[in-house]
Amino acid sequence: VRFAVCVKNAVDETELKIDQGGRPVLGGAASRMSAFDKNAVEEALRLRSLHGGEVVAFTVGTAEAKKTLKEALAMGVDRGVLVVADQGKIDTLQTAGLLSAAITGEGRFDAVLCSEGSSDTYTGLVPAALAEILELAYVGYSRKVEILGETAVLERSLEDSVEKVEALLPFVASVVSEINEPRYPTLIQIMQASKKPITEVAAGQLALEATRSSPVIMGMSAQPSNRKHVVLDGTPEEAAAKLIEALEKEGVLSR
Amino acid sequence: LTMPLFNSEHLSLLRSNYPEHEEYAEVLSALGGFMSERIFPMSEKFDSNSANMGASRKALLEQGVCQIPFPKEHGGLGLPYGVYVLALELAGSADAGIALSLAIHNTAAEGIFQFGSGEQKRKYLPDITSGRKLASFALTEPTSGSDAKSMSTRAKRTMDGYVLNGSKAYITNAGEADVYFVFAATEKGPSSFVVEKSNPGMSFGEDLPKLGMRGSRTSEVRFEDCRVPQDSLVGDEGMGFEYAKAMLNGSRIVMGSLCVGIARVAFDKAVAYAKQRRAFGAPISDFQLIRGKIADMKTGISAGRLLCMHAARLRESGAEYASAAAQAKVFSTEMSVDACDSAIQVFGGHGYTSGDVHRHWRDARLLTIGEGTSEVLRLLIASRELALAT
Repeated sequence: VRFAVCVKNAVDETELKIDQGGRPVLGGAASRMSAFDKNAVEEALRLRSLHGGEVVAFTVGTAEAKKTLKEALAMGVDRGVLVVADQGKIDTLQTAGLLSAAITGEGRFDAVLCSEGSSDTYTGLVPAALAEILELAYVGYSRKVEILGETAVLERSLEDSVEKVEALLPFVASVVSEINEPRYPTLIQIMQASKKPITEVAAGQLALEATRSSPVIMGMSAQPSNRKHVVLDGTPEEAAAKLIEALEKEGVLSR
Repeated sequence: LTMPLFNSEHLSLLRSNYPEHEEYAEVLSALGGFMSERIFPMSEKFDSNSANMGASRKALLEQGVCQIPFPKEHGGLGLPYGVYVLALELAGSADAGIALSLAIHNTAAEGIFQFGSGEQKRKYLPDITSGRKLASFALTEPTSGSDAKSMSTRAKRTMDGYVLNGSKAYITNAGEADVYFVFAATEKGPSSFVVEKSNPGMSFGEDLPKLGMRGSRTSEVRFEDCRVPQDSLVGDEGMGFEYAKAMLNGSRIVMGSLCVGIARVAFDKAVAYAKQRRAFGAPISDFQLIRGKIADMKTGISAGRLLCMHAARLRESGAEYASAAAQAKVFSTEMSVDACDSAIQVFGGHGYTSGDVHRHWRDARLLTIGEGTSEVLRLLIASRELALAT
């Protein structure tokens, strides 16, 4: 079984600074693998341990993005493919186009795994676009993936329900962070990762259709939320009775 | 407070010391990431003893932190000592008690590596460096600390080995460790032994209540007719004191670095608080007396880090480094106590009452005593300078 896993070199959110206008400062910040992508890598590795085969990690970015591929290699991915392009200058649809061309260039894969969104811009647009371009089934927000021969059974984590679906191989899935707990590579694995192969492909080498439009983020800011502040006074017994009354009124408790 | 433990300052220090070795930064950045996510958030609980640090220590050992300085043939990573010293700084920031436990663990490994036989290295090093076995270092006695030569623990020669009698005091990892690097006097003088916990005749005192470093276990180690086989002797009889001095030189750099890590986390907390806490209509970071503290703390941390790295680089080059190691430890440990004290002052009443602030001072306070007191190390530094001056 061959697994492709898509990863993104993103700003390290623990080092992220916010400017005066409440916008994140993305330029010049340290980068690493987008946190959620580790779940996609972990899932591919877990499936490989069950079914055998190969896991290839793909990324689009500058030479800096090699760091992210190395992180994936240290976790246990077999090899990496870097599509060299300036992330800042391409949109999500172009990214999906480059990824699909690179994936196709590496032969047939049985499953393409992505995370639900990147930890920097979190548009979540790439996985679905990728499936569309590759003309494969797309299963978004998966919290469980099981491969049974020629088909796969996946559980989709939706807001208020779980949807169980069956998909024919090959398919594209995005996974949610609850799907697994990503492993931490050991220091030895990190050192050995530099011996694993990374193939570099120039974006220009990949046959791409003319650019189509893709949503563009116009701005990003924190939304202030107003909370209700209710102070309950009286003895503990009285306060408890008032609390129950208040909770019932809010509809969070019913007798 | 959330923070990446491995930051741009560590990166530039590594790059200037080890150009062309970007992999050292990859290793320390990953290690820092692990400690930021898995160790640092638990640290307050280890201090209050509301959580046991054993599992976290094991997880950190399994990451390979103690493999860093040993050659690959002994299960190590074969990286320079300076990388290990920086790794222990990160550990000191994540949790000082775990860092102390790891440092002592590796001091024992160092003794086996430097002075043990090929068989002893094969038998113990891969297990110790990978964390399958925990190690301890037992030199100090109830009545001999700095004056280690006057030890009263005895190793009496028998037909097929030695019989140990006596006791060791204030031993880190005591009772938890599987392997002990023990000093005991034979007829030829202080000698060193590797003793396994499973040996009959070995027992441990109760966990001592300490000012700081509360996550780590400290107690007495007692030997009562403890029979050990001949091959537990490390090196030659009578050489124990020389071995101890050599082992302590390395671990003094590490203890200095660990204290730089403690100071750094206290500093980060103090800076964050100073920017947020307001008085007289302004954040207290606007006041010059607070700014002075911040500047002095930062300067001390940078100086301590550089002294530790300098001593590590001398060691790597094969040069004499005992005085440099002593200077790194005296300066960094005392700097750390001062910096943590300043952090308490910046926090004011909250600093005196919050364990998450004053524990850094309590942790750092051990290390102007352990692994060579500041007083003994100053004598070492001075006597060397006076000998050179004649």
